[in-house]
Amino acid sequence: MIEWNESQPIFLQIRQRLVEMILKSQVKPGEALPSIRQASADLAVNPLTVTKAYQSLVDQGVVEKKRGMGMYVSEGAHAVLLEQEREAFLKEVWPRIRAQIEALGLDLKTLMQTEADK
Amino acid sequence: MSADAIITARNLKKRFGKNEVLKGLNFAIPAGRIYGLVGHNGAGKTTTLNALLGLTDYEGELTVFGRNPFAERHKLMQDVAFISDVASLPRFLKVRELFDLIEDIHPHFSRDKAQVFLQGTDLKPDLKLKTLSKGMLAQLHLAVVMAIEAKLLVLDEPTLGLDITYRKRFYRRLIEDYMTEERTLIITTHQVDEIASILTDIMFIRDGEIVLDMETEALGTVYTQLVCGSDKADEAAKLGPVFSETRFGQSVMVFENVGRDKLAALGEAATPTLSDLFVALMQRQSAIPGDK
Repeated sequence: MIEWNESQPIFLQIRQRLVEMILKSQVKPGEALPSIRQASADLAVNPLTVTKAYQSLVDQGVVEKKRGMGMYVSEGAHAVLLEQEREAFLKEVWPRIRAQIEALGLDLKTLMQTEADK
Repeated sequence: MSADAIITARNLKKRFGKNEVLKGLNFAIPAGRIYGLVGHNGAGKTTTLNALLGLTDYEGELTVFGRNPFAERHKLMQDVAFISDVASLPRFLKVRELFDLIEDIHPHFSRDKAQVFLQGTDLKPDLKLKTLSKGMLAQLHLAVVMAIEAKLLVLDEPTLGLDITYRKRFYRRLIEDYMTEERTLIITTHQVDEIASILTDIMFIRDGEIVLDMETEALGTVYTQLVCGSDKADEAAKLGPVFSETRFGQSVMVFENVGRDKLAALGEAATPTLSDLFVALMQRQSAIPGDK
Protein backbone atom coordinates (compact mmCIF):
# COMPACT_ATOMS: atom_id res chain seq x y z
CA MET A 1 0.00 0.00 0.00
CA ILE A 2 1.25 3.45 -0.83
CA GLU A 3 2.09 5.48 2.22
CA TRP A 4 0.92 9.06 2.46
CA ASN A 5 2.57 11.48 4.80
CA GLU A 6 0.36 13.36 7.20
CA SER A 7 1.98 16.73 6.75
CA GLN A 8 0.67 17.45 3.25
CA PRO A 9 -2.74 17.03 1.62
CA ILE A 10 -2.94 13.84 -0.45
CA PHE A 11 -3.83 15.68 -3.64
CA LEU A 12 -0.51 17.56 -3.47
CA GLN A 13 1.33 14.28 -2.98
CA ILE A 14 -0.41 12.80 -6.01
CA ARG A 15 0.36 15.93 -7.97
CA GLN A 16 4.01 15.54 -7.05
CA ARG A 17 4.04 11.97 -8.38
CA LEU A 18 2.53 13.12 -11.66
CA VAL A 19 5.15 15.87 -11.88
CA GLU A 20 7.86 13.26 -11.34
CA MET A 21 6.42 11.03 -14.04
CA ILE A 22 6.64 13.94 -16.47
CA LEU A 23 10.10 15.03 -15.34
CA LYS A 24 11.49 11.52 -15.68
CA SER A 25 9.88 11.36 -19.15
CA GLN A 26 7.92 8.28 -18.16
CA VAL A 27 5.09 10.11 -19.87
CA LYS A 28 6.16 12.38 -22.71
CA PRO A 29 4.40 15.40 -24.22
CA GLY A 30 1.38 14.30 -26.23
CA GLU A 31 1.08 11.07 -24.27
CA ALA A 32 -1.69 10.20 -21.85
CA LEU A 33 -1.32 10.12 -18.08
CA PRO A 34 -3.10 7.32 -16.21
CA SER A 35 -6.85 7.92 -16.19
CA ILE A 36 -8.43 9.30 -13.04
CA ARG A 37 -10.23 6.03 -12.45
CA GLN A 38 -7.04 4.04 -12.93
CA ALA A 39 -5.00 6.30 -10.66
CA SER A 40 -7.77 6.29 -8.11
CA ALA A 41 -7.90 2.50 -8.01
CA ASP A 42 -4.11 2.07 -8.05
CA LEU A 43 -3.58 4.53 -5.22
CA ALA A 44 -6.75 3.64 -3.28
CA VAL A 45 -7.66 7.31 -3.22
CA ASN A 46 -11.13 8.68 -3.94
CA PRO A 47 -11.65 10.06 -7.47
CA LEU A 48 -12.41 13.59 -6.22
CA THR A 49 -8.97 13.91 -4.64
CA VAL A 50 -7.28 12.49 -7.74
CA THR A 51 -9.26 14.88 -9.94
CA LYS A 52 -8.06 17.77 -7.80
CA ALA A 53 -4.43 16.75 -8.37
CA TYR A 54 -4.91 16.54 -12.16
CA GLN A 55 -6.87 19.77 -12.20
CA SER A 56 -4.03 21.69 -10.57
CA LEU A 57 -1.76 20.58 -13.43
CA VAL A 58 -4.41 21.50 -15.98
CA ASP A 59 -4.72 24.96 -14.40
CA GLN A 60 -0.99 25.34 -14.74
CA GLY A 61 -1.17 24.43 -18.43
CA VAL A 62 1.16 21.43 -18.23
CA VAL A 63 -1.62 18.90 -18.69
CA GLU A 64 -4.50 19.05 -21.16
CA LYS A 65 -7.87 17.51 -20.64
CA LYS A 66 -9.32 16.03 -23.80
CA ARG A 67 -13.00 15.40 -23.50
CA GLY A 68 -13.79 11.74 -23.28
CA MET A 69 -10.17 10.83 -23.93
CA GLY A 70 -8.26 11.57 -20.76
CA MET A 71 -5.39 13.69 -19.54
CA TYR A 72 -2.45 14.45 -21.82
CA VAL A 73 0.95 15.98 -21.12
CA SER A 74 1.26 19.34 -22.91
CA GLU A 75 4.12 20.37 -25.15
CA GLY A 76 6.68 22.21 -23.09
CA ALA A 77 5.43 20.71 -19.82
CA HIS A 78 8.84 19.27 -19.04
CA ALA A 79 10.61 22.64 -19.21
CA VAL A 80 7.97 24.42 -17.14
CA LEU A 81 7.99 21.79 -14.42
CA LEU A 82 11.75 21.47 -14.37
CA GLU A 83 12.08 25.20 -13.84
CA GLN A 84 9.49 25.11 -11.09
CA GLU A 85 10.99 22.11 -9.31
CA ARG A 86 14.47 23.60 -9.44
CA GLU A 87 13.20 26.79 -7.91
CA ALA A 88 11.35 24.86 -5.20
CA PHE A 89 14.47 22.84 -4.43
CA LEU A 90 16.70 25.89 -4.16
CA LYS A 91 14.21 27.75 -2.03
CA GLU A 92 12.93 25.03 0.29
CA VAL A 93 15.20 22.01 0.31
CA TRP A 94 18.68 23.28 -0.35
CA PRO A 95 18.92 25.72 2.59
CA ARG A 96 18.23 22.84 4.99
CA ILE A 97 20.77 20.54 3.37
CA ARG A 98 23.27 23.33 3.28
CA ALA A 99 22.78 24.07 6.95
CA GLN A 100 23.31 20.40 7.73
CA ILE A 101 26.47 20.26 5.64
CA GLU A 102 27.80 23.25 7.51
CA ALA A 103 26.81 21.82 10.88
CA LEU A 104 28.71 18.64 10.05
CA GLY A 105 31.73 20.59 8.83
CA LEU A 106 31.80 18.83 5.46
CA ASP A 107 33.63 20.45 2.59
CA LEU A 108 32.94 20.35 -1.12
CA LYS A 109 35.85 18.04 -1.84
CA THR A 110 34.64 15.34 0.56
CA LEU A 111 31.10 15.60 -0.75
CA MET A 112 32.14 15.22 -4.38
CA GLN A 113 34.47 12.39 -3.41
CA THR A 114 31.70 10.26 -1.88
CA GLU A 115 29.68 10.81 -5.01
CA ALA A 116 32.54 9.65 -7.22
CA ASP A 117 33.06 6.49 -5.10
CA LYS A 118 29.63 5.17 -6.00
CA MET B 1 -27.31 22.96 3.14
CA SER B 2 -26.35 21.98 -0.35
CA ALA B 3 -29.15 21.96 -2.89
CA ASP B 4 -27.85 18.92 -4.72
CA ALA B 5 -27.77 16.73 -1.63
CA ILE B 6 -29.18 13.27 -2.27
CA ILE B 7 -29.67 12.64 1.43
CA THR B 8 -30.85 15.23 3.93
CA ALA B 9 -31.52 14.61 7.60
CA ARG B 10 -32.97 17.21 9.93
CA ASN B 11 -33.26 16.47 13.61
CA LEU B 12 -33.30 12.75 12.92
CA LYS B 13 -34.24 10.86 16.08
CA LYS B 14 -34.84 7.28 17.00
CA ARG B 15 -36.02 5.83 20.27
CA PHE B 16 -36.14 2.25 21.42
CA GLY B 17 -38.44 2.49 24.42
CA LYS B 18 -36.88 5.00 26.78
CA ASN B 19 -33.52 4.70 25.11
CA GLU B 20 -32.84 7.47 22.60
CA VAL B 21 -30.28 6.03 20.17
CA LEU B 22 -30.29 8.92 17.68
CA LYS B 23 -30.47 12.30 19.36
CA GLY B 24 -31.32 14.61 16.50
CA LEU B 25 -28.86 14.21 13.64
CA ASN B 26 -28.44 16.87 10.96
CA PHE B 27 -26.51 16.14 7.81
CA ALA B 28 -26.59 16.43 4.03
CA ILE B 29 -24.79 14.12 1.64
CA PRO B 30 -24.18 15.25 -1.95
CA ALA B 31 -23.82 12.90 -4.93
CA GLY B 32 -20.42 11.61 -5.97
CA ARG B 33 -19.04 11.33 -2.45
CA ILE B 34 -17.62 8.47 -0.45
CA TYR B 35 -18.70 8.89 3.16
CA GLY B 36 -17.11 7.07 6.05
CA LEU B 37 -19.35 6.64 9.07
CA VAL B 38 -17.41 5.80 12.19
CA GLY B 39 -18.44 5.22 15.78
CA HIS B 40 -18.24 2.73 18.61
CA ASN B 41 -20.54 -0.27 18.62
CA GLY B 42 -23.93 0.99 19.72
CA ALA B 43 -23.23 4.62 18.77
CA GLY B 44 -26.07 4.64 16.25
CA LYS B 45 -24.37 3.90 12.93
CA THR B 46 -26.49 0.96 11.91
CA THR B 47 -29.67 2.66 13.11
CA THR B 48 -28.81 5.67 10.95
CA LEU B 49 -28.20 3.44 7.94
CA ASN B 50 -31.39 1.52 8.58
CA ALA B 51 -33.31 4.78 8.65
CA LEU B 52 -31.76 5.81 5.30
CA LEU B 53 -32.72 2.47 3.81
CA GLY B 54 -36.28 2.64 5.07
CA LEU B 55 -35.76 -0.33 7.36
CA THR B 56 -36.84 1.52 10.48
CA ASP B 57 -39.16 4.39 11.29
CA TYR B 58 -37.85 7.52 12.98
CA GLU B 59 -38.72 11.00 14.17
CA GLY B 60 -37.59 14.12 12.38
CA GLU B 61 -37.09 14.71 8.69
CA LEU B 62 -35.23 12.45 6.34
CA THR B 63 -35.19 12.46 2.55
CA VAL B 64 -33.27 10.15 0.24
CA PHE B 65 -33.49 11.05 -3.46
CA GLY B 66 -36.38 13.29 -2.53
CA ARG B 67 -38.34 10.45 -0.95
CA ASN B 68 -39.33 9.51 2.55
CA PRO B 69 -37.45 6.22 2.90
CA PHE B 70 -39.82 4.55 5.34
CA ALA B 71 -42.99 5.42 3.42
CA GLU B 72 -41.54 4.84 -0.05
CA ARG B 73 -39.08 2.09 0.56
CA HIS B 74 -40.17 0.09 -2.45
CA LYS B 75 -39.48 2.94 -4.88
CA LEU B 76 -36.31 3.90 -3.09
CA MET B 77 -34.84 0.45 -3.53
CA GLN B 78 -34.67 1.02 -7.29
CA ASP B 79 -31.88 3.51 -6.66
CA VAL B 80 -30.27 2.02 -3.58
CA ALA B 81 -28.29 -1.12 -2.87
CA PHE B 82 -26.71 -2.21 0.38
CA ILE B 83 -24.73 -4.81 2.24
CA SER B 84 -25.61 -4.92 5.90
CA ASP B 85 -23.22 -6.14 8.55
CA VAL B 86 -25.47 -9.10 9.23
CA ALA B 87 -26.11 -9.76 5.56
CA SER B 88 -26.29 -13.31 4.42
CA LEU B 89 -26.94 -14.93 1.08
CA PRO B 90 -28.96 -18.15 0.91
CA ARG B 91 -26.29 -20.77 1.51
CA PHE B 92 -28.10 -23.67 -0.13
CA LEU B 93 -28.01 -21.99 -3.57
CA LYS B 94 -25.41 -22.17 -6.27
CA VAL B 95 -23.91 -18.95 -7.61
CA ARG B 96 -25.93 -19.37 -10.81
CA GLU B 97 -29.16 -19.93 -8.86
CA LEU B 98 -28.49 -16.86 -6.76
CA PHE B 99 -28.29 -14.79 -9.95
CA ASP B 100 -31.57 -16.37 -11.16
CA LEU B 101 -33.22 -15.39 -7.90
CA ILE B 102 -32.04 -11.77 -7.94
CA GLU B 103 -32.87 -11.39 -11.61
CA ASP B 104 -36.40 -12.35 -10.65
CA ILE B 105 -36.78 -9.98 -7.73
CA HIS B 106 -34.75 -6.93 -8.72
CA PRO B 107 -35.66 -4.98 -11.86
CA HIS B 108 -32.27 -3.23 -12.05
CA PHE B 109 -30.04 -6.25 -11.61
CA SER B 110 -27.77 -7.00 -14.57
CA ARG B 111 -26.71 -10.60 -14.67
CA ASP B 112 -24.11 -9.86 -17.36
CA LYS B 113 -22.48 -7.27 -15.19
CA ALA B 114 -22.37 -9.58 -12.18
CA GLN B 115 -20.71 -12.21 -14.32
CA VAL B 116 -18.12 -9.76 -15.59
CA PHE B 117 -17.28 -8.88 -11.97
CA LEU B 118 -16.64 -12.53 -11.23
CA GLN B 119 -14.29 -13.06 -14.16
CA GLY B 120 -10.81 -13.80 -12.97
CA THR B 121 -12.01 -14.92 -9.54
CA ASP B 122 -12.44 -18.44 -8.25
CA LEU B 123 -16.20 -17.99 -8.14
CA LYS B 124 -17.68 -20.37 -10.67
CA PRO B 125 -21.42 -20.51 -11.51
CA ASP B 126 -21.88 -24.03 -10.21
CA LEU B 127 -20.28 -23.55 -6.82
CA LYS B 128 -22.57 -23.85 -3.83
CA LEU B 129 -22.55 -20.80 -1.60
CA LYS B 130 -22.00 -22.86 1.54
CA THR B 131 -18.67 -24.09 0.17
CA LEU B 132 -17.33 -20.56 -0.31
CA SER B 133 -14.84 -18.92 2.02
CA LYS B 134 -15.72 -15.71 3.82
CA GLY B 135 -13.64 -13.71 1.36
CA MET B 136 -15.28 -15.30 -1.67
CA LEU B 137 -18.74 -14.69 -0.22
CA ALA B 138 -17.90 -11.03 0.26
CA GLN B 139 -16.68 -10.87 -3.34
CA LEU B 140 -19.88 -12.45 -4.55
CA HIS B 141 -21.99 -10.14 -2.44
CA LEU B 142 -20.17 -7.10 -3.81
CA ALA B 143 -20.56 -8.36 -7.37
CA VAL B 144 -24.30 -8.69 -6.79
CA VAL B 145 -24.82 -5.22 -5.35
CA MET B 146 -22.57 -3.58 -7.94
CA ALA B 147 -24.53 -5.25 -10.71
CA ILE B 148 -27.59 -3.38 -9.49
CA GLU B 149 -27.82 -0.03 -11.25
CA ALA B 150 -27.93 1.89 -7.98
CA LYS B 151 -27.13 5.52 -7.31
CA LEU B 152 -26.47 4.96 -3.63
CA LEU B 153 -24.58 2.05 -2.17
CA VAL B 154 -24.56 1.54 1.59
CA LEU B 155 -21.97 -0.81 3.04
CA ASP B 156 -22.15 -1.64 6.73
CA GLU B 157 -18.85 -3.24 7.81
CA PRO B 158 -18.48 -4.86 4.37
CA THR B 159 -15.01 -6.28 4.97
CA LEU B 160 -15.49 -7.61 8.49
CA GLY B 161 -13.48 -10.79 8.96
CA LEU B 162 -11.70 -10.54 5.62
CA ASP B 163 -7.94 -10.68 5.29
CA ILE B 164 -5.99 -7.68 4.05
CA THR B 165 -5.69 -8.95 0.45
CA TYR B 166 -9.43 -9.34 0.13
CA ARG B 167 -10.07 -5.99 1.78
CA LYS B 168 -7.81 -4.23 -0.70
CA ARG B 169 -9.36 -6.04 -3.63
CA PHE B 170 -12.82 -5.17 -2.36
CA TYR B 171 -12.16 -1.43 -2.22
CA ARG B 172 -10.29 -1.42 -5.51
CA ARG B 173 -13.29 -2.99 -7.17
CA LEU B 174 -15.57 -0.35 -5.72
CA ILE B 175 -13.49 2.50 -7.06
CA GLU B 176 -12.89 0.92 -10.44
CA ASP B 177 -16.33 -0.40 -11.18
CA TYR B 178 -18.82 1.48 -9.08
CA MET B 179 -17.82 5.07 -8.39
CA THR B 180 -18.87 7.82 -10.79
CA GLU B 181 -19.83 11.45 -10.23
CA GLU B 182 -23.49 10.51 -9.94
CA ARG B 183 -22.98 7.70 -7.50
CA THR B 184 -22.58 7.84 -3.77
CA LEU B 185 -21.12 5.43 -1.29
CA ILE B 186 -21.58 5.24 2.47
CA ILE B 187 -19.29 2.89 4.37
CA THR B 188 -19.01 2.03 8.03
CA THR B 189 -15.88 0.32 9.23
CA HIS B 190 -13.69 -0.03 12.29
CA GLN B 191 -10.57 -0.19 10.12
CA VAL B 192 -10.85 3.49 9.40
CA ASP B 193 -7.21 4.33 8.64
CA GLU B 194 -7.17 1.66 6.01
CA ILE B 195 -9.77 3.46 3.93
CA ALA B 196 -8.96 7.04 4.95
CA SER B 197 -7.62 7.96 1.52
CA ILE B 198 -10.66 6.50 -0.21
CA LEU B 199 -13.08 8.67 1.74
CA THR B 200 -14.08 12.13 0.57
CA ASP B 201 -15.93 12.80 3.82
CA ILE B 202 -15.84 11.52 7.34
CA MET B 203 -18.56 11.43 9.97
CA PHE B 204 -18.02 10.40 13.58
CA ILE B 205 -21.03 9.38 15.66
CA ARG B 206 -20.94 9.19 19.43
CA ASP B 207 -23.90 8.23 21.60
CA GLY B 208 -26.41 9.12 18.92
CA GLU B 209 -24.84 12.47 18.07
CA ILE B 210 -22.59 13.60 15.25
CA VAL B 211 -19.27 14.80 16.64
CA LEU B 212 -17.55 15.34 13.30
CA ASP B 213 -18.82 15.79 9.74
CA MET B 214 -16.12 17.08 7.45
CA GLU B 215 -14.40 16.64 4.12
CA THR B 216 -11.30 14.54 4.73
CA GLU B 217 -9.21 17.07 2.81
CA ALA B 218 -10.26 19.76 5.28
CA LEU B 219 -9.23 17.85 8.42
CA GLY B 220 -5.72 19.24 8.27
CA THR B 221 -6.96 22.81 8.29
CA VAL B 222 -8.86 22.25 11.54
CA TYR B 223 -7.04 19.52 13.45
CA THR B 224 -3.38 19.18 14.27
CA GLN B 225 -1.62 16.50 16.21
CA LEU B 226 1.44 17.64 18.10
CA VAL B 227 4.13 15.32 19.37
CA CYS B 228 6.49 17.13 21.72
CA GLY B 229 8.99 16.50 24.48
CA SER B 230 8.06 16.90 28.14
CA ASP B 231 9.90 20.25 28.26
CA LYS B 232 7.36 21.78 25.86
CA ALA B 233 4.29 19.97 27.19
CA ASP B 234 3.19 22.70 29.62
CA GLU B 235 3.47 25.38 27.00
CA ALA B 236 1.49 23.26 24.54
CA ALA B 237 -1.18 22.45 27.14
CA LYS B 238 -1.86 26.17 27.50
CA LEU B 239 -3.03 26.25 23.87
CA GLY B 240 -5.98 24.09 24.88
CA PRO B 241 -5.68 20.65 23.28
CA VAL B 242 -8.90 18.67 22.84
CA PHE B 243 -6.95 15.56 23.71
CA SER B 244 -3.69 14.83 25.40
CA GLU B 245 -1.76 11.74 26.43
CA THR B 246 1.79 10.60 27.12
CA ARG B 247 3.34 7.99 24.89
CA PHE B 248 6.81 6.72 25.48
CA GLY B 249 7.94 9.84 27.29
CA GLN B 250 6.50 12.18 24.67
CA SER B 251 3.33 14.21 24.82
CA VAL B 252 0.79 13.64 22.10
CA MET B 253 -1.90 16.29 21.83
CA VAL B 254 -4.65 17.01 19.35
CA PHE B 255 -5.70 20.61 18.73
CA GLU B 256 -8.72 22.10 17.08
CA ASN B 257 -8.39 25.41 15.25
CA VAL B 258 -4.97 26.23 16.63
CA GLY B 259 -2.53 27.51 14.01
CA ARG B 260 -0.15 24.82 12.83
CA ASP B 261 2.77 27.27 12.71
CA LYS B 262 2.32 27.96 16.39
CA LEU B 263 2.35 24.25 17.16
CA ALA B 264 5.23 23.39 14.83
CA ALA B 265 7.43 25.60 17.00
CA LEU B 266 6.84 23.23 19.93
CA GLY B 267 7.39 19.88 18.25
CA GLU B 268 6.24 17.73 15.37
CA ALA B 269 2.92 18.99 14.06
CA ALA B 270 0.92 17.02 11.49
CA THR B 271 -2.63 16.10 10.58
CA PRO B 272 -3.83 13.35 12.92
CA THR B 273 -4.74 10.01 11.37
CA LEU B 274 -8.46 9.26 11.44
CA SER B 275 -8.00 6.71 14.21
CA ASP B 276 -6.03 9.17 16.36
CA LEU B 277 -8.64 11.84 15.75
CA PHE B 278 -11.41 9.38 16.53
CA VAL B 279 -9.85 8.46 19.86
CA ALA B 280 -9.36 12.16 20.65
CA LEU B 281 -12.91 13.22 19.86
CA MET B 282 -14.53 10.21 21.51
CA GLN B 283 -12.86 11.00 24.82
CA ARG B 284 -13.70 14.65 24.79
CA GLN B 285 -16.04 15.85 27.53
CA SER B 286 -18.56 17.55 25.30
CA ALA B 287 -19.85 15.91 22.17
CA ILE B 288 -20.62 19.19 20.41
CA PRO B 289 -17.57 21.25 19.45
CA GLY B 290 -17.46 24.57 21.26
CA ASP B 291 -20.09 23.56 23.81
CA LYS B 292 -17.86 22.95 26.79
